Amino acid sequence: MKNKYKILIPFVFLISGVVCQDVDQFFKQNCSSCHTIGGGRLTGPDLKNVHERKDDEWLKKFINDPVAIINSGDAYARQILDESRGIMMPKVGGLTPFIVQSLLDLIKEESAKEKSKYSGSSLADRVLTPEDIIIGRALFLGTTVLKNNGPSCIGCHSIFGEGQLGGGLLGPNLTDVYGRLGGKTALAAWLSSPASETMGPIYGKHPIDEKEVLPLVAFFKEKGKSNISEAGMHDFNFLIFGFVGLAIVLILFDLFWGNRLRSVRRKLVKGKAL
Amino acid sequence: MDIRSQISMVFHLDKCIGCHTCSIACKNIWTDRKGTEYMWWNNVETKPGTGFPTRWEDQDKYKGGWELVDGELKLKSTSKSKTITNIFHNPTMPTMDDYYEPWSYKYKDLFDAPAGDDQPTAKPISMVTGDYMDIEAGPNWDDDLSGSPIYAENDINLDVLSDEQRDQLFAIERLMMFYFPRICNHCVNPSCVASCPSGALYKRGEDGIVLLDQERCRAWRSCISACPYKKTYYNWNTGKSEKCILCFPRIETGQAPACFHSCVGRIRYLGVLLYDADKIEETAKHPDHELVDAQREMILDPFDENVIREAKKNGISESTLKAAQESPVYKFVKEWGIALPPHVEYRTLPMLFYVPPMLPVMSAQEGDSVRSINEEYFPDFDKARVPIKYLASMFGGGNESHLRYVLKKQSAIRAYRRALTVGDIDVLEAEKALVEADCNPEEADKIYKLTSLCTFEDRFVIPPSHREEAIEMMKDPLEHKQEVGFGFNDSPERGM
Repeated sequence: MKNKYKILIPFVFLISGVVCQDVDQFFKQNCSSCHTIGGGRLTGPDLKNVHERKDDEWLKKFINDPVAIINSGDAYARQILDESRGIMMPKVGGLTPFIVQSLLDLIKEESAKEKSKYSGSSLADRVLTPEDIIIGRALFLGTTVLKNNGPSCIGCHSIFGEGQLGGGLLGPNLTDVYGRLGGKTALAAWLSSPASETMGPIYGKHPIDEKEVLPLVAFFKEKGKSNISEAGMHDFNFLIFGFVGLAIVLILFDLFWGNRLRSVRRKLVKGKAL
Repeated sequence: MDIRSQISMVFHLDKCIGCHTCSIACKNIWTDRKGTEYMWWNNVETKPGTGFPTRWEDQDKYKGGWELVDGELKLKSTSKSKTITNIFHNPTMPTMDDYYEPWSYKYKDLFDAPAGDDQPTAKPISMVTGDYMDIEAGPNWDDDLSGSPIYAENDINLDVLSDEQRDQLFAIERLMMFYFPRICNHCVNPSCVASCPSGALYKRGEDGIVLLDQERCRAWRSCISACPYKKTYYNWNTGKSEKCILCFPRIETGQAPACFHSCVGRIRYLGVLLYDADKIEETAKHPDHELVDAQREMILDPFDENVIREAKKNGISESTLKAAQESPVYKFVKEWGIALPPHVEYRTLPMLFYVPPMLPVMSAQEGDSVRSINEEYFPDFDKARVPIKYLASMFGGGNESHLRYVLKKQSAIRAYRRALTVGDIDVLEAEKALVEADCNPEEADKIYKLTSLCTFEDRFVIPPSHREEAIEMMKDPLEHKQEVGFGFNDSPERGM
């Protein structure tokens, strides 16, 4: 009997090795945008020693479906939500019980270290300059293409004062995103690996380059100062645009098909006594 | 030389009495289905008149046929670029009103109406919508001038006349009319075929009948704009266009097409013409007034040794050549030169020819009585009721000389026949007139016989269709030889 299982041992090591790397990657892509381990809070709380604060079962449930736990009125979950200024942790895609367990193991392991590799990047340490705002604006509008060919922000997001018709409406308005996410460090972390269900798959393959993150942050910070919503104005512009577009289409239709044959006989007999 | 054979037609307008039997014969066979109610593959129009669909001859509106642009033949209705800009809508089609809204009557009301002071009536119902409708037009609405000058006045061929001529034409005692029966001309240079984006239209190789493949038609309706004679029609029920098929199932079995067969006045002739397909483009590029001659030039002499040899090389069978030699159409068109193509200026080279009508002025109204004003029976054509210019606009591409030639010949032959049968004209005088009209007694006899005493066999010389040979192009007739028979193609084997 024992011998039978012995055969499996090399496989277990092999699999765990693969999994280790996977979990590492998974954490970087999905968690590090909001969490550090020992680096202080970003958008979400510092995960150092999280296993001491709550038991494994609760943590697993929370990781699997944070929205459900928060909505169920769990006191601790509400507290985290308040600390995160009302930004809810999104449901992370691609979770399996195995990955969840591996994540918890990883956090436990990293918490024990004095300096974890997830204690936050030093990216945000540089001071923002006025040039950053200009570069950031170009990146936001797409006049400069993102280095890794990711789509530019305006495709899905609006921001105060940019674009005649505003930007895309798929994502939230980003005018006050700087304040909402809690400042430079958190925003920079988010941009380094955006983890939401929509942005994750897109920027997972085409990540925003390290050098592009801070200019964008600078741009968002600048915009955050204006703090005025322009949505109404954009709606009005859109309406006008719609009417103008309709007029142009009708004019084109008339140019192409205006002189079609309408009737021959009716014109002939019109107004004449038969 | 690329010789092709074409089943061609002649309609003798002097013999047409406008009875519409041809139209009815055609309708009963081919277009009494749902969606085809308004179609008249064969129709008879009164001239002057606007015809069916209304003013179909007005190509400024309907954009049918070809035009010569910088020495190149271009379709008037469409082009590659126009196909794209008009991809959602073909802008130059006759509307339903320009044809007419087909209708029936609610006959049931005649039986079901409650007793009342008035006779019940059967109200007209549209055969398209099924609703009650007011009848505003029909397929031969201006038949026999319809008691209204509106349609006749708007005949586009009258545009060539001066105001004075027009006034004369419509003065009641000089009023004239003649009938103009029309079917698909099965043109040699068909604009409908050229315009079809789906390639659904084709000209049949063996006999030149223009057909519309119902499987390939995609309802672009380009042919409807492009055909200057408006002889393709859109079936609103099947979403396919349809046209005259020259009753090819009848032709293939040696019968004349239904409209030909049923013609009361025996005005219709059918036979083979041989033409040189290499010359089509060059012919169609001639200026308007040369087109009639050019088309005649394109039609070849079936007795010419060279032509016969080349025709055989092209796979035209002996029997077809024999039919071409006996063809009444060849005689009318080429030998005697008295049949002319309709509106040759559309440059589709129609293969249906018309012998134009003679309409001499015989009498005039004076007060309450009618006085004979012409002692001669066949007088100066310039005094004829129908102005020669008008006929030239219809049949000569504007060239009056052809019309003069035809009418002079016909009138000389009649005078000659009158001299022979009645005897009140001097025979020598009549023979002199014949010679002046580029005719002679022998030819006059032939023309007289084929016009007046023609039998079925004289009028319709239909070549055997040789379907047994045609099938070899598609299929090997010996494919299943030495196989076991019907139903299965594998030979049975011995054993279990």
